[in-house]
Amino acid sequence: MEAGTLAGSQPIAHGHRAAKPRTGILKYLLTTDHKLIGVMYLWLSFTFFAIGGIFALLIRSQLAAPGLHVLPPEVYNQIMSMHGTFMIFFFTIPIMAGLSNYVVPIQIGARDMAFPRVNAVSFWLLVPAGLLMLTSLLLHGGSAAAGWTSYPPLTDRQYSPGPGVDLWILGLHLAGASSILGGINFVVTIFNLRAPGMTMFKMPMFCWAVLITQSIILVATPVLAGALTMLLTDRMFGTSFFHPAAGGDPVLWQHLFWFYSHPAVYIMVLPGMGMISQVLPAFSDKRLFGYKGMVLATAGIGVIGFMVWGHHMFSTGMSPGLRRFFSFASMVIAVPTGIKIWSWLATIWGGSIRFRTPMLYGVGFISLFIIGGITGVWLALVPFDVQVHDTYFVVAHLHYVLFGGSLMSIFAGFYYWFPKISGRMYNEAWGKVHFWLVFIGMNLTFMPMHIMGMLGMPRRIYTYKPEYAIWNHISSAGAAILGVAMLIFAINVLLSLWRGRRAPEDPWDHAEHNKTLEWTTSSPPPAENFARIPIIR
Amino acid sequence: MNRSNQSRRSILPGLAVLGLLAGLCVASPAFAWLVNPVTPVAHEVRGLFYKAVAVTSFFFLLAELLLLVAVLRFRAKPGVPAATFHENVRLEIVWTAIPALAMVILSGPAFTTLKSMETVPQSDLTVEVVGHQWFWEYRYPKYGVIFANEPLVIPVGKIVAVDVTSIDVVHSWFVADFGVKMDANPGRINHTWFQVEKPGVYGGQCAELCGVLHGQMLITVNAVSPEEFERWIEQKKKGA
Repeated sequence: MEAGTLAGSQPIAHGHRAAKPRTGILKYLLTTDHKLIGVMYLWLSFTFFAIGGIFALLIRSQLAAPGLHVLPPEVYNQIMSMHGTFMIFFFTIPIMAGLSNYVVPIQIGARDMAFPRVNAVSFWLLVPAGLLMLTSLLLHGGSAAAGWTSYPPLTDRQYSPGPGVDLWILGLHLAGASSILGGINFVVTIFNLRAPGMTMFKMPMFCWAVLITQSIILVATPVLAGALTMLLTDRMFGTSFFHPAAGGDPVLWQHLFWFYSHPAVYIMVLPGMGMISQVLPAFSDKRLFGYKGMVLATAGIGVIGFMVWGHHMFSTGMSPGLRRFFSFASMVIAVPTGIKIWSWLATIWGGSIRFRTPMLYGVGFISLFIIGGITGVWLALVPFDVQVHDTYFVVAHLHYVLFGGSLMSIFAGFYYWFPKISGRMYNEAWGKVHFWLVFIGMNLTFMPMHIMGMLGMPRRIYTYKPEYAIWNHISSAGAAILGVAMLIFAINVLLSLWRGRRAPEDPWDHAEHNKTLEWTTSSPPPAENFARIPIIR
Repeated sequence: MNRSNQSRRSILPGLAVLGLLAGLCVASPAFAWLVNPVTPVAHEVRGLFYKAVAVTSFFFLLAELLLLVAVLRFRAKPGVPAATFHENVRLEIVWTAIPALAMVILSGPAFTTLKSMETVPQSDLTVEVVGHQWFWEYRYPKYGVIFANEPLVIPVGKIVAVDVTSIDVVHSWFVADFGVKMDANPGRINHTWFQVEKPGVYGGQCAELCGVLHGQMLITVNAVSPEEFERWIEQKKKGA
């Protein structure tokens, strides 16, 4: 079948190759090339990141001091909900898909994804999905305003009469469909299109991380789609899945939502861990420590990740047996996560470390992710969780995981592959300035939130009691630093794209044993990646 | 000799600063609920928190320290090649088994505390809490007293059983000093309890996003002496 012909060593067997290469806007609109699609994913996700970031700055402006009126309460709830929705569904998940799209086919020695047209569909579904979300802000009644979790009955028609929640549901449906199609594509690609000799256990760690992530997507995302459909029919057609008065149960939504959304944390973190497993060896000139242990740990996280969703619901009145099960499972998942941390430390130990920007982000990732992991263990302990659940402590924890974890790894991977993707070097000095501002700003913003939460400040409130003021001042100051940092990042990227130094094949001088296939082709790689499909010894 | 002395000297101030920071953290009002829990459960939760900190800070400090040392020590130097080791099964077994063991150990106190949280003892008083957008309704079924938008009044030292529900959307009744947070779900009644040790006015607020004015759905609990409570409830009964 196709796999055979594509993986064969004849030069090129693809249909499109004979046609004249398209130029201008059509080149992007009609492409099925995984690299162009990857680049479009990056542009789109970073645009959504900017939007989500502006929402974050609005939130921190409103909360800079108690009793401010930057945003009225109903608008605050919309902005807060859209911040979460955009950062999770329209930035972190898609940008991971984008970087995976660009890198995975090259790393396994393939010419493209298994289903190039489906790949284009995956990308183009995200555009209307994001637009639906954004336009909902402008409609009468505004956007969905029940948090990114949208618990009914608050999202029922009775309490959210406007079209905001409907557009939120439809937008997520499209984004979910994009994810599911991408999941099928990645799994098939990795299983079938590996170059001759590229056995599973010769694959770079990043490909393993993507394979496991995309498998999680395939199991979890359809459940979200089902739950969204139930919410939609409750709102539109009078069903009563979540209406207590008609025999439904709002807690059912929480179970279905978190059955998807806890694994979604791993969907957002595992590919980043894969990137870190590339970057740390590359810049310390060592092999990744404990490769097979890392693969097993990642797979373990993928499996146990489906058994811990209940820890988001410890205060719902869950049965004692379930509480204990979810509590212990959530503690257990710290073990494979710990294996990864120790293995990364052993990877850089004894190395010859070069502190280029990707490496700074790699080290920053470890130091911050440890904090998110430790508070994660605390939160697995039901009594402590009940104490701080739905307070700023959880906001702090989740940002150490998703900002300190996912975002730091995204920057590590982005700076690492930027020369490969764009064919140009970014400005190293400004890259480092960006890192230090992000690292300092991140801690200033989110560390005080632990304390706010322990003091009892709930999350998702538009203003707060005066006793929490000092910590909120600090947090908002940190957010301002982050805003400046991201501006510097944007300018650095744009200027580098315009007039950065040309990048060679391998700008990082990888040691031979760390040189994955993308560093053996030009920067950027040619159409269909390789003149001849490489044969792995 | 000289060298090790030097490094010891440079580590000491660092340790001192760390200790000072830790002390400040624990002593500061930031940890109010940790310093001033006012129910038996809140005491236990604080104890559990300290145990969790003790167990996990070993791993936390070890990992961050190793990272710091690696970053300082293994910066690329001309003529110094990178080490070549990349596996060690024994080490991998150790760093899997020890954290796993720590988790099992930690689950002990966690489940004990959970047990006392879940077991509602024979109560002296039952209060029904009903969440509304955006206020709390309190009912004392034994006395036939119902009111809303006023502080909850309870007798100090008595065991108060709390039945929590909601009339509209999901709310959550949360008083940090009590170690109590219970979701108010429409169509369900959840049970929790507390026994306040000291008279005083305790604040809390709704902890589950419930709409526009979620941020203003405050809770005030007046814990008064049993005698004062009797006087208050009599007056309430007459007033109703």
